[in-house]
Amino acid sequence: MFSGLFATQRRRATAIGALVAVFALLIGFGAGWLTPSLRAPGDNSPEAGFARDMSTHHAQAVTMAMTVYPRATDTEVRQLAYDIALTQQSQIGIMQTWLKDWHLQPTGTRPKMAWMPNGARELTPDGLMPGMATDAQLQELDAAKGKQVDILFCQLMLRHHLGGIHMIDELLQLSHDQDVRDLAQGMKNNQQGEVVQFQTILSRLGAQPLSS
Amino acid sequence: MSISTPQAGGNRRPSKAVAGGKPTTGAKAKSDASAESDAPAKTDAPTKTTTTAKSGGKSGTTTAGGGSKARTAPGGRPGTRTGGSGGGRPGGGNRSGGGNRPPVVPVKVNSGRHWGPIILFTIVGLVAAGIVGFGVYEVQKNNQGWQDKADSIKGVVDYRKTEPNLLKAAQHAYGKVNYPQSPPVGGVHNPNWERCQGDVYPDQIPNENAVHALEHGSVWVTYNPSLAKDQVDKLASKVRGNDFMLMSPYPGLDKPISLQAWGFQLKLDSADDPRIDQFIQDLRVNASMETGATCGQDSQNYVTKTGTDPTNLGQSAAPTAAS
Repeated sequence: MFSGLFATQRRRATAIGALVAVFALLIGFGAGWLTPSLRAPGDNSPEAGFARDMSTHHAQAVTMAMTVYPRATDTEVRQLAYDIALTQQSQIGIMQTWLKDWHLQPTGTRPKMAWMPNGARELTPDGLMPGMATDAQLQELDAAKGKQVDILFCQLMLRHHLGGIHMIDELLQLSHDQDVRDLAQGMKNNQQGEVVQFQTILSRLGAQPLSS
Repeated sequence: MSISTPQAGGNRRPSKAVAGGKPTTGAKAKSDASAESDAPAKTDAPTKTTTTAKSGGKSGTTTAGGGSKARTAPGGRPGTRTGGSGGGRPGGGNRSGGGNRPPVVPVKVNSGRHWGPIILFTIVGLVAAGIVGFGVYEVQKNNQGWQDKADSIKGVVDYRKTEPNLLKAAQHAYGKVNYPQSPPVGGVHNPNWERCQGDVYPDQIPNENAVHALEHGSVWVTYNPSLAKDQVDKLASKVRGNDFMLMSPYPGLDKPISLQAWGFQLKLDSADDPRIDQFIQDLRVNASMETGATCGQDSQNYVTKTGTDPTNLGQSAAPTAAS
């Protein structure tokens, strides 16, 4: 059929082709395996910092909302509290899952807010993130009665949302991760809407937002 | 492999599978008869259709089927044509077996190596191996579990290993509980947990409520009340405002500082010890026995009281009174 020589060349070409294919597969496999970990946000990334810090920020909102939910006298406040508690707890779960997916710990090696430029200066004197309630304010909320529960919750949560929105804005400045941006943008839209709602409720209840 | 067989009797498919078909040599040696009987059935099988060992005809089964020496037949598979004596080697060079085939000119295989492709493939191969190796390393490093990381901290006691029963006993109970560790690291606990949202308690808190906080994944920082204030402040700065953290003095503590997570403990002399941050990084939230459980939730569930007696919020009409 073929001459021996021709056949040998053919065979060698085939073998080389096979080798190339194998190497190409190896490289492709390696690259495919590695790429997710290269592309995933790192330990000091804004995304990881946001996921960690916003989880803590959210957790306090959940605590305040759940504290108020059974005691609010105003129906709109009670509904808002319920909505905030469920929504933010769910978002905590999403953010914690991100960290797991990125092979990162729930706790970073850097202080909170270090992912933001000048983040350390954003902390309150108590070392709290922007908008968070102090221990004393939480106690006050716990001890409040009647309509005061509704007012105090709206005041504290309004400020809490504003602090959260500030952190979200920083994330949106820094991050190109679409999933993270999407959730952050959703949080912002939602919380901005609720800020307006709190203002409306406060004025209906004859109260003012907190000064700071 | 097949490269080394120069004869190439029209076999254009040097597939490995074929070369692998060699085992036939062994098989045929043993049972010629059975092999033969099988032959017709598995027509396409490139293997054991060998009829008689000597004939070496383990050629393309399809063609000649039986014992004929038809191995040279057109369909002949590469590796197969080497005679029966071809000792396992695929494409074994016993060209002598090529009986009725026209002698083939040995093709130069060794001479004039193409160094270009060889170097190229070597480099490509090394790069590929490097990429895969790096990937493996990274994955391994990242996948080291938090428990392994915690265990590797010098001085950490992992009670999950030494006292597995302690961790199973995660029941609720009212009243005082005697814990084998001091401070406790897990076990039966009060239905209400001490709030652990970065709370820095100025006074001792009840073990029974603190252990419930551990169950939810918090790290509990305790210190001997004699610890210097600047050291206490340093510890507090690691706790305050951080969810899943709580801190309190612990009278009678046998070391200046002790850190607890569920099943883990680390006793230290100084708040400047870098192992404190490691402990927190590896165990905070991770050590939770109830994934997703919170440190706050609402004041009908958590407590913030200090003292030594457990605080029970939900104990209504309870005959199981606390001590």
